[in-house]
Amino acid sequence: MNIDWLSGPLLQQLNSGVILLNRQLQIVYINPYICRRADIQLESVQGTDLFTVFADAPKAWLSRKLHSVLSLQSPAFSSWEQRQYLFKLPHLRPVSSANQYMAQNCSMLPLTEPGSGEQYVCLLIEDATDAYVYQSQLQQSNLQLQQVNRLDGLTGVFNRNYWQQQLEVEVQRASRYQHSLSLLFFDLDKFKRLNDDYGHQAGDIVLIEVTKLISSLLRETDLFGRYGGEEFAIILPDTPQEGAMEVAKRICRRVAATPVIYQQQQLKTSVSVGVSEFSAVSTADELIQQADLALYQAKRNGRNQVIAYYPELLESLKKVKA
Amino acid sequence: MTELSFTEEQRDCLQELINVAMGLASDKLARFLNTFVHLQVPAIGLVNAAEIPEQFRGQYQGPHSSMISLGFFGNGGLRGETILLYQLENAGKIATLLGYDDDATSEAEMLTDISSILTTTFLNGLAEQLDNSFSYAAPRVISSRDSDFIGKLEQTAFHWQLALKVDIRYELTDYSFDCNMILLIPGEAVLKLKTILDNVLAEF
Amino acid sequence: MALTALICDDSLLARNQMKKSLPAEFDADIVTAANGVEALAVLRNQEIGVVFLDLTMPELDGVGVLEAIKAEKMDVFVIVVSADIQPEMQKRVMELGALAFIQKPVNTDKLSAVMRQYGLI
Repeated sequence: MNIDWLSGPLLQQLNSGVILLNRQLQIVYINPYICRRADIQLESVQGTDLFTVFADAPKAWLSRKLHSVLSLQSPAFSSWEQRQYLFKLPHLRPVSSANQYMAQNCSMLPLTEPGSGEQYVCLLIEDATDAYVYQSQLQQSNLQLQQVNRLDGLTGVFNRNYWQQQLEVEVQRASRYQHSLSLLFFDLDKFKRLNDDYGHQAGDIVLIEVTKLISSLLRETDLFGRYGGEEFAIILPDTPQEGAMEVAKRICRRVAATPVIYQQQQLKTSVSVGVSEFSAVSTADELIQQADLALYQAKRNGRNQVIAYYPELLESLKKVKA
Repeated sequence: MTELSFTEEQRDCLQELINVAMGLASDKLARFLNTFVHLQVPAIGLVNAAEIPEQFRGQYQGPHSSMISLGFFGNGGLRGETILLYQLENAGKIATLLGYDDDATSEAEMLTDISSILTTTFLNGLAEQLDNSFSYAAPRVISSRDSDFIGKLEQTAFHWQLALKVDIRYELTDYSFDCNMILLIPGEAVLKLKTILDNVLAEF
Repeated sequence: MALTALICDDSLLARNQMKKSLPAEFDADIVTAANGVEALAVLRNQEIGVVFLDLTMPELDGVGVLEAIKAEKMDVFVIVVSADIQPEMQKRVMELGALAFIQKPVNTDKLSAVMRQYGLI
């Protein structure tokens, strides 16, 4: 059976775009799929430079690629995952897709006309809009899921797990670039008593309001996490101890000065804060331990105050343990 | 198992065809990239498919490496996949190499672009000598941090016991850039390759 | 007396391909060697008119063979046939006295032209 007749109707009805270019990257043929979407007539663009007809196409990159196809005589590809589209063409999901242009997969194939030996590049363009839409949705849900996985359900600050991961990252960064780094550990004074006197709901509201207040005192780059119960921790990147002390004192003052309103009652709260500073030899665990010891000392000194870690604290801990 | 091993003649034939394909590829690449591409004489071997995931884990997977996969299909049931491995510190060099000066080209795109150039020039040379022609799937980035990839390899390994593995190292002298290409031809297709090699041998 | 030609390549396929690529009018006996050491043994023991020499080989590579030919002042034409087309390599073998460098897979027309140029056919 002779099937020479087949290519005509196939090119007419093919649900993919076909653009044939000569060695000078001038248009030799464009099938109706592209003509309709780009609103052009084949007759009027034949012999015209590709980038004159599609002025928005990424010229430098695409022509380099097309020349690679011609000179290496091997195919090249472009995927919507790396480059959403080559040509600004409308897609067939005007309602259900937010993006304006058709996401495209494109294969660029070297072709040789058998008779003349003339070389061409053929661009096959497929609509990948559906894949693009699904992928974007998936990414968005993943992102949301990731966010949720990082946060403490009650207070909305980072949970312990994620906070600790970030501490590792920050410690590595500080030691690599020799940046300063400080840590604050704090907990709410006499929180158990507050729970006993006013109920757990009141305790929850205090946690929410105090974290909200403290968050407003921090920089974008500070990492605020709930370490457990009423204990919280803050990573202060690029901050030496003096700066950290200032932040800690401000937190201490503001919390004590801002009672939480619960059922028309003013609940007075305060926090005790321990501060530790990263030095070239410390690990994340040591940094936590030092801040924790300082916090313990702040409690022993009578609460509602800030203590920075000093080595004797470690000695006193050993004595307590012994 | 036994029918999957190569005879000495088949192995010799394949080694020679691959050497010549590498020569053809480095010639074309040198002209296109304006730098000499040195392809090292590859290690060719049948490997137990079950060992491949472990090899990838140990040899190739690092925190700073990227992998690009490109599948191909030829006549006579020949098919396979190439995996290109790059060290991320090479990424900047690739842009210079490809002559990309626009900032719009992402790292992933540069890697897929260079991968399809390196892979298809070599495979076209191989196909030519086998009187075959290959069609290619678009290259895909497999993140090196994607432990999923090893998982997938582990799963596919169940489908075939042995695979032909060819390791080729590309070195571009002017750019002090290098990468590795691993060509994998899975079990069933190795049988087809053996038939194809026998045909080549019968010709000479 | 017919000329004797030596085809030296570690690959059997390549040796057979080389034999087949030789022009029909080339009237010569063909002997083969699978590496440089074998090739030198042949060259030292019999009169060889032309060597078709691969470069990448075990035992002794093509460059080693060329160096020995030069050192021992053997009177033989050498045509290098290789897949390795590095410009430095081409330069090196030409300096060592090779007549021509032919890229694999061998193009029969090019091979004929080279052989005609040196009066081998």
